Amino acid sequence: MQKIKQQIEQCIEALRQGELTEADLSAVLDALDETKPKRQNLLYLQTGGTSVGSGAHGCTMVVDGQITEPPDQDNWPYNSPIDAMRDGWRIIEFPNLALLMDESRTYGLGCEFILEKWE
Amino acid sequence: MKTYDCKPTLTDQQIIEFCKYGYLMLEAVVPDEINKRVIAFCDVHPEGNPNDFLKEAWFVDEVLCNVLAAGAVRSLLGRDFGMPLTISNHRVHCPRTVNGGWHRDDGSQQVPKVNYLQVFYYPQAAPLEMGPTELLPGSHHLSTSSHFMKHLDAIADAHKTAAPAGSIFITVYSIWHRASTATAAGIRNLIKYTYWRTVAPTRDWVIDPAFRLENADFATGSPEPRRDWSRVCHDAARMYLWLRGELDNYEWIGGLAWPATATAAQAKGFCPGLPTDLA
Repeated sequence: MQKIKQQIEQCIEALRQGELTEADLSAVLDALDETKPKRQNLLYLQTGGTSVGSGAHGCTMVVDGQITEPPDQDNWPYNSPIDAMRDGWRIIEFPNLALLMDESRTYGLGCEFILEKWE
Repeated sequence: MKTYDCKPTLTDQQIIEFCKYGYLMLEAVVPDEINKRVIAFCDVHPEGNPNDFLKEAWFVDEVLCNVLAAGAVRSLLGRDFGMPLTISNHRVHCPRTVNGGWHRDDGSQQVPKVNYLQVFYYPQAAPLEMGPTELLPGSHHLSTSSHFMKHLDAIADAHKTAAPAGSIFITVYSIWHRASTATAAGIRNLIKYTYWRTVAPTRDWVIDPAFRLENADFATGSPEPRRDWSRVCHDAARMYLWLRGELDNYEWIGGLAWPATATAAQAKGFCPGLPTDLA
């Protein structure tokens, strides 16, 4: 916000000097776009094991505020948590090991990683 | 409750396949003229529970008592099984987008018992474009409330039940399922109902003289990512033996014992873990 304030002050000064241009005002608009609040994107990956290298067999994505269905598995954006990490995703929850300690039952889809990216 | 009896149609290995995957698809078993009549009836009765179907003898005879479908139900539920008490229609206007939606129907239990069957019938063709029901094979062996699967979406080994008109698929009640995205335009009806067991489970389906429990195949064709291979075999064997009324004779000893290594062990004439009362 401080940067935008400075740009507007410069525009006022340029206006006084008769030197204000369209480019000056466009630069202010661009700066405003950059201040738009970022949104949290979420990526849920259900995997066959607790390693970040485990293959994903389930995938849910929340992108730009929308739940979006990934395409067929051959075209999933990521095949494992580590694939997503290499693309800037940050793990915010690891598989809940408490659910994996009862060997007589399988709970849900097993191991689940939840990752986020702010864009 | 009305009951019905007919000849069973499934063999031991078909029963085992049902226990493994949790569903049985019977493609195009209802004649076209009946399918058309059902669709016309749905247009007049577009409600979610068109129970007037139960008053229609042609529907009861050709759909609910369809020879192949009822024969499979008879195999799984035993003689004099209870007929559906209500009829539902998942009638959707396509196209539509579906995200998430995975669930087990209310009242599901994660047990080997098969005391009722959840059955679906497509009176019209249900290709992928018309958003057929999607099932997760083997999920009837998983422990999860529907409330804890609301965030799930794409699952790699899920199966879309795309099928021709007149198809009926029979499922374990607790199997995970959901609607899928439909890209084509039109109305898709999906009739759903439940049959009930009235007698204790026993092995009175079609008996293949060549069937041997010690080398029955309890493994799934491809690895399941959620459960160990031995667990997959054990879960299916447990349900199968319950259906035979003989679960009390079975104790899973673990390791790679029966039912996990049934075929390999049989070849060597030694089958550790096979219940001796059943061998």
